[in-house]
Amino acid sequence: MAYNLFENATMAIKTLGANKLRSSLTMLGIIIGNASVIAMVAAGQAAQDFVTRQFESLGTNVLFVTPGDAQRGPTAGVSRADTLTLADAEAIAAEVLAVREVAPEKNQRLRVTRGNAETQANVIGTVPEYMTVRQVTLAQGRFLSPVDVQSHLQVAVLGSETAQTLFGDQNPIDRRIRVDNVRFTVVGVVASRGSSFGQNQDEAVYIPIRVMANQITGQEVGKISPTVQTIAVSARNTVSATAAQYQITNLLRLRHGLLNKEDDFTVQSQQDLLATAASITDILVLTLGFTAGISLLVGGIGIMNIMLVSVTERTQEIGLRKAIGAKGSDISVQFTIESIILAVIGGLIGTCVGIVSIVVLTLTTPLSAGVSVSAIAISFTVSGSTGLIFGLLPARRAAQLDPIVALRS
Amino acid sequence: MALINLRHIIKTYGIGDLEVQALRDVSLTIDAGEYCAIVGASGSGKSTAMNLIGCLDRPTQGHYRLDGIPVNSLGADALADIRNHKIGFVFQQFYLLPQLTAVENVMLPMVYANVPPAQRRSRAVKALQKVGLGNRLDNRPNQLSGGQQQRVAIARAIVNRPKLLLADEPTGALDSQTSRSILDIFASLNHDGMTLVMVTHDQAVAQQCDRIITFHDGQVLSDRSTA
Repeated sequence: MAYNLFENATMAIKTLGANKLRSSLTMLGIIIGNASVIAMVAAGQAAQDFVTRQFESLGTNVLFVTPGDAQRGPTAGVSRADTLTLADAEAIAAEVLAVREVAPEKNQRLRVTRGNAETQANVIGTVPEYMTVRQVTLAQGRFLSPVDVQSHLQVAVLGSETAQTLFGDQNPIDRRIRVDNVRFTVVGVVASRGSSFGQNQDEAVYIPIRVMANQITGQEVGKISPTVQTIAVSARNTVSATAAQYQITNLLRLRHGLLNKEDDFTVQSQQDLLATAASITDILVLTLGFTAGISLLVGGIGIMNIMLVSVTERTQEIGLRKAIGAKGSDISVQFTIESIILAVIGGLIGTCVGIVSIVVLTLTTPLSAGVSVSAIAISFTVSGSTGLIFGLLPARRAAQLDPIVALRS
Repeated sequence: MALINLRHIIKTYGIGDLEVQALRDVSLTIDAGEYCAIVGASGSGKSTAMNLIGCLDRPTQGHYRLDGIPVNSLGADALADIRNHKIGFVFQQFYLLPQLTAVENVMLPMVYANVPPAQRRSRAVKALQKVGLGNRLDNRPNQLSGGQQQRVAIARAIVNRPKLLLADEPTGALDSQTSRSILDIFASLNHDGMTLVMVTHDQAVAQQCDRIITFHDGQVLSDRSTA
C-alpha cells in the first residue's frame, strides 16, 4: 500500500460523488438491510418485553391450574378440555395448606343487553376470591360477595368498557342487565385492566360461578360438578408456591384417579409461563434477526454487482493509474475502500431509518421498542464488513487488470 | 550514455495455438537527451516496442536495460516503481480522470510516489505552468479543450521529473495548430534535457524529431537522423 488511507478515502468519496445516482442506488440495499436489522431486532425485543410484562401482571405467587396437559395438548387459557371441575377447586381450597386463596373461573363469550343497548362480553363465573388472586381494582360499587355465591344471587360486576357501552355516563349500580337473557343486577364496576394476551379484559361481566353453571351454561352431560376453565390459586409466599404446585398435582391426580396415567391437567406458575413465553419469543427475535440479516446480505451482493460493473467501466482509469505507477495493491485498496465507504454511509443512513421506524412502532402499537445500542453496533459492523467482503472480488479483479489491455480498451 | 538499451528482443503473443511474433530480434539504443520518433504501419511492432520500453510489458526473450537497470528481471511492483519514477506517459486519448481537477490529475503520480502531501500541489502547479496552463488549475477535464487536456496530461507525465517521456500518438486526436503547440512543448522539454520517445504514424510529426526509427514486420527497418 503506497499511500495512506485518508487520501484513499478522500479519493473514493470524490469518485462516488461523481456518480451520485448510482452510488445512492447501491447504498439503498445496505440502507434497507441495516434499517431492517435494527427495526426487526427492536421489534422482537419489544414483543419479548411485552409478553414478559403480561405475565408479570398476572401476579407473583400465583399458580394456574388448567384442564388438559399443556405439554401435549392445547395451551393454558384456550383449552377446551373438561377435566377440571368446581369440586376440584373446592378441594384445593380445603386440603392444600400452602394455598391462600382459590379462584375458579368458568367463562364464555355471551351477548349482554340492557334495553336496546347490546354488546358481547366475556362472562366470567367466579368467586369473591377472584378479586384478590387476580388483583382486580374496583371503580365503583363492590365485587361479588360470599353471600352472592352462597345464595345464588343474580348479581353482576361489569368490566369498565362493558359498563361504558351499556350505561354511558349513567350510574350502573342497582340497574338491571341481561346476560344471555338471564336478568342480573349490577353491583359494581371494575377499573380498567387493559388487555391480556390479545383479549380485552375490560369487556367482561363477573357473576357468581354457581349462577353461571345453573342459569347460563346449564347441566353438563356426565358431570356432577360444573367444569371450570381455570383455577387461579394464590400461594402464601414464593416458597410455598413450589409446595402448592406439588401438592395440587398430587391432590388432583388422586381425585381424577390417575394412578398409571398421565396428568389430565396442568399446574403452571408465573415462572413456568414466563419460561414458555421466553422460549417462543426467543425464536421470534431470532427469526426476525435472520430475515433482516438476509436483506443485509442482499444489500452486500448489490454492492458487489455495482462495483464489478464499475471495474469494467473504469478499466481505462485502472490502466492509466497503473501506467503512472500504481501497484496492484494500490488499485485493490482503492476499490475496497470505495465499497466500504458505500456500505458504511449506507449503514449510517439505514441506522437512522431504523431508529425512525422504531419511534413509529412505539407510537402506533402497544409495543414500546427501545433503540438497542448493540443492534446498532452489530449492524454497523456487519455492513462495514459486508462492504469489505463483497468489495474484495471486484477489487481483486481491478488489481489484476493488465495495464496494456486496460489502456487499449 | 544509453538510457534505453534493447538487446535481441523477441516478443511473442500466443493467440490460441497460433503464435504471433510482434518483435523479431530488435536491438536498439537511445541515449539520454535524444528526441526520437518511432514510426511504422499498424502491426509493424511499434506499439509493442513502446510497451516494452515503457515497462508496461516484458519481452519473451532478450535483455532490456533502462537507465542501467535490467528491467526484465523485475517483478510487477518494481516495474510500477520504475514507471512511476523514470517514465512519463502521454497518450492519444489523454486519459485524465474526469472527477478530478487539472491540478488533482497532475498530483496523481506523486500520490503513488509517496511525495509528502504538502509538496504535491506546488509541484503540480509548477508543472502546469510549464505547459502554459497556470490559469486552468481547478478546471475539470470536461471544461478544457483537447489541446488543454493534452497539456494537463504532459504536466502529469513530467511532474515526477522522469528521465524518459513516452508519447503514444500524442497529436492523434488534435488539429494541426494544436498539434504544433504540443510539439513545441516537447521540443522545449527536450531542450531542457529530457529524453523523448514518440510513437506516431504521422511523417510530418516525426520530422520534428532528431531521429526516426522505422519499424516494419517486427524489425527495425531504418534508423536515421533528420538533421
